[in-house]
Amino acid sequence: MQGHLNDLQQRAQKKWEQLEGEALTVRIGTPTCGRAAGALDTLQDFRERIEKEGVEAHIIEVGCMGLCFAEPLVIIHKPKSGLPPILYGFITQQHVQRLVEGFLLGDDPCLELALGTVEFKEDGTPYIPELARFEIEERLVLRNCGYIDPLDIGHYLARGGYLTLQRALQMEPDAIILEIERAKLRGRGGAGFSTARKWRGCREIEARPKYLICNADEGDPGAFMDRVVLESDPHSVIEGMVIAAHVIGASQGFVYTRAEYPLVIERLKVALSQAREIGALGENIFDSGLSFDIELVAGAGAFVCGESTAMIYSIEGKRPMPRVRPPRSVERGLWQKPTVVNNVKTFALVQRIMEQGGERFSRIGTVGSTGTAVFALAGRVQQIGLVEVPMGTSLRKVIFDVGGGIPEGRRFKAVQIGGPAGGCLPESSLDLPVDYDSLRQAGAIMGSGGMICLDENNCMVETARYFLDFLCRESCGKCSMGRLVTKQMLLILEDIVKGQGTEADLDLLAALAHDVAEGTICNLCSSAANPTLTTLRYFRAEYEAHVKEKRCPALICRELITYYIVPEQCERGCDHCVLTCPTEAITTDERTRRKRILQDKCVKCGTCLDVCPPEYRAVIKVSPPEKVKELEKAAGG
Amino acid sequence: MAKEHSVDIIIDGKQVRAEAGEKILWAALSAGIEIPHLCAIEEADPPLGTCSLCLVEVEGRGVVASCVEPVSEGMVVHTRGRGSALRRRAMELLLADHPMTCKECPKKGKCEFLKVARAMKVKRPTHYRPFARVELPVDTSHPRIIFDPNQCIRCGRCLWVCKERLGEVPFDFINKGYEMCISTFMSRPLAETSCTGCGACVEVCPVAALCLKEQA
Amino acid sequence: MTGELLDSYPAQRHSLLRILQAVQQTEGHLSEEALAAVARHLKISAAEVYGVATFYNQFRFIPYGKHHVVACLGTACHAMGGQLILDAFERELDVKAGGITGDHEWSLDRVGCIGCCTKAPVVVINDVIHARMTPFKVEEVLAVLGFKKSKKEENAGAGASQ
Repeated sequence: MQGHLNDLQQRAQKKWEQLEGEALTVRIGTPTCGRAAGALDTLQDFRERIEKEGVEAHIIEVGCMGLCFAEPLVIIHKPKSGLPPILYGFITQQHVQRLVEGFLLGDDPCLELALGTVEFKEDGTPYIPELARFEIEERLVLRNCGYIDPLDIGHYLARGGYLTLQRALQMEPDAIILEIERAKLRGRGGAGFSTARKWRGCREIEARPKYLICNADEGDPGAFMDRVVLESDPHSVIEGMVIAAHVIGASQGFVYTRAEYPLVIERLKVALSQAREIGALGENIFDSGLSFDIELVAGAGAFVCGESTAMIYSIEGKRPMPRVRPPRSVERGLWQKPTVVNNVKTFALVQRIMEQGGERFSRIGTVGSTGTAVFALAGRVQQIGLVEVPMGTSLRKVIFDVGGGIPEGRRFKAVQIGGPAGGCLPESSLDLPVDYDSLRQAGAIMGSGGMICLDENNCMVETARYFLDFLCRESCGKCSMGRLVTKQMLLILEDIVKGQGTEADLDLLAALAHDVAEGTICNLCSSAANPTLTTLRYFRAEYEAHVKEKRCPALICRELITYYIVPEQCERGCDHCVLTCPTEAITTDERTRRKRILQDKCVKCGTCLDVCPPEYRAVIKVSPPEKVKELEKAAGG
Repeated sequence: MAKEHSVDIIIDGKQVRAEAGEKILWAALSAGIEIPHLCAIEEADPPLGTCSLCLVEVEGRGVVASCVEPVSEGMVVHTRGRGSALRRRAMELLLADHPMTCKECPKKGKCEFLKVARAMKVKRPTHYRPFARVELPVDTSHPRIIFDPNQCIRCGRCLWVCKERLGEVPFDFINKGYEMCISTFMSRPLAETSCTGCGACVEVCPVAALCLKEQA
Repeated sequence: MTGELLDSYPAQRHSLLRILQAVQQTEGHLSEEALAAVARHLKISAAEVYGVATFYNQFRFIPYGKHHVVACLGTACHAMGGQLILDAFERELDVKAGGITGDHEWSLDRVGCIGCCTKAPVVVINDVIHARMTPFKVEEVLAVLGFKKSKKEENAGAGASQ
């Protein structure tokens, strides 16, 4: 059986080398976000044109390289041209013909469409030297993402896949734990608990059977790291899971993912059956005596299932309401049996650590938080996408050097880290190193790695309201503290954004937030306070503007703003706003052709502002709403 | 109580001997130390832990629900201070979320919820935003039992006792978050369910969400 | 139909979630009859099945429309104006989130996050993701999919502009 894997591996490698060394390859990223950008049309078009032109080229569907801002992404490698693989960005259907005729058929590499060339580090990790972000990034989890075909286990094997598992299965479980300990790996789900300690705790318990769960229930809105890893490199997670199963002595594993991620489910199913075929799952894995299989469980849309005790109830088919610990899940977990729950990225990292050694891993990052952190960078930032940097990298570097800063010259206002349970950090926190402990001190958490940038056009009070609304909908409702305090806080915030808050509300809000942080039974509601507390702490002036002046400085809170057309700037012949207004709230003065908004008909949807040609910029928002009367008076007079 | 299975803990400065694994609440009550509680049922395992009215502070651990947290050797518990402030908050909000139609209430004079509130010296607060819960119809279909979902404080005691007795419960928690409540299958009338009318749920209901017709 | 489907799943509580998902997949929603059949199959009370099903956002107890619109209100979508998009759909379709139009053609829902944050704000209509929406694009997208405002409204609209 061992020979069997080595055979497979060698064959895969040979095929890969042929592919890399001789063949003309076109890699197209088709993860969920790529698809939203039209990657499937690009793919289809490439297929058709290549067939029509009779080009001998391999089309490879790959996952996500993290450069989501430039999707659809295409990598073309034409060894005959003597050029390294070239990465092209924003390749929608209209560019396909140019690439096929220019580069595939001709000698023109179409550099005007290129983002850079793909080079490889010693360990085979691809990087793009032309993009400054790759100087800062260190890709361990994302090593294969966007370069291999996730549906072809051969690609994974060719890059050394499952050899680490084969070696690990011959090791004593305690030796593996020592290696993980040497790496000082902390769980990537957000709490940052020592992985080695968790595993040892479970290993030492006698009861059988034992279960292993991969937490892929990435419920934090604004986070998509786990989705990308599972869509782009599922085998690294499976390999990490089997290593863990060997260590703790688990016989059955589960990947619990979200129903909202259909592509993850589809690709994982394929990957699991491929792993079974090569004997990496099932009975007597690689002749080691270990029997272990993985079942895929799709959640059904409940944020709280990301909490491990709730997830366990969900797998059991019960209402997923978190329970109080102790007993911990490693003692009494799934069906009351010892259970280890780890995050997707933790398993991927276990595979890397066992391949490259714990020592090497521990040298990356900081003393307390080793290795790398994967962030999903989104919101008001130029280069939206996935980022993997050494722990301890400053927020400024991540947002401005990797992410390219805030678009359209607007000002950075805050970064929201760690999902609804995390916090909003202001500009003054930008030099904070991102690691478990620094973030916690600042009032945020690492969470699973969502990082949403907010700029001057985002209202922090409204942001706090948004997160509380989310948590109120998604909390389990079991304990009075969680159920009622969060709802009360939401009611207050809803009033504040409507201009119906008072200064006393701010104190009540803070008091409630402190209470809920301390008095609830699980981490979901106790961390519900974080967005409110951090915004109150760092952006109090914005709250005060809402309650004292009934004004929204960011011009977002609908009840506190009005739209106004500046007469001097209105190009009178242009009817864009009039034609697109969904409620016919814009009138044209017969004589002057000036446009005016009928405030009682306006629903404040913002369409007129969107469609007003940028050379006029005649539509503005004003706050407080009454201000529009002054403006109208001044204009009329 | 065998000696090796006992632990010594300190509650409000008083040394208390408790059975290992026992929950703080029951250890305190046996030692004559009052901690307010409403959802707690000693036999329930796992404990319900829903009402948040028995919160206490444990040194080195923070605030915990005393009906859920087991004692451990040398544990130092404070029932006053932060725990007490949080209990008050929970009670205030429970009262604010309750209809408080006490004058017409079938449990008038026997309401456990109100008794606990009085013991805690908490009155219905006025400084909160009204919760404005949508009023639901009262179910009088069953020959013996009246189910008024508006009165329910979501402690879950009825579910626990019904599961113990019947196994196949005629109602359960539905929804989540603030919308979580007790309901029959698809809000069907109680008379169309497996409810036998044994009245065990009525006995444990601390409010007038479940009443016997003869009481009303 | 439900009977055959149920028999393909072991009668274990662990199967509950995937059974509910399969039923919804084939029937479009979870009807009272289907839920009761699931309870009988697993030998648990129908109230418990209902309790589990109502916990999850995925499950619907009324049918979907022919076109099912889901507006994402994840953090990124919210920061990029997702609420305005939902508002626009509510206004155009004249239903609230969670509802369905009178002719059962269009249903509207909201979702916490579909992990497509880089294309925010997004909506999903019958499993197709529409990226970088604006309130204006809402009308376009609806028109492309054949949405017509009801006659009554059109008349009302015409009346107002005259």
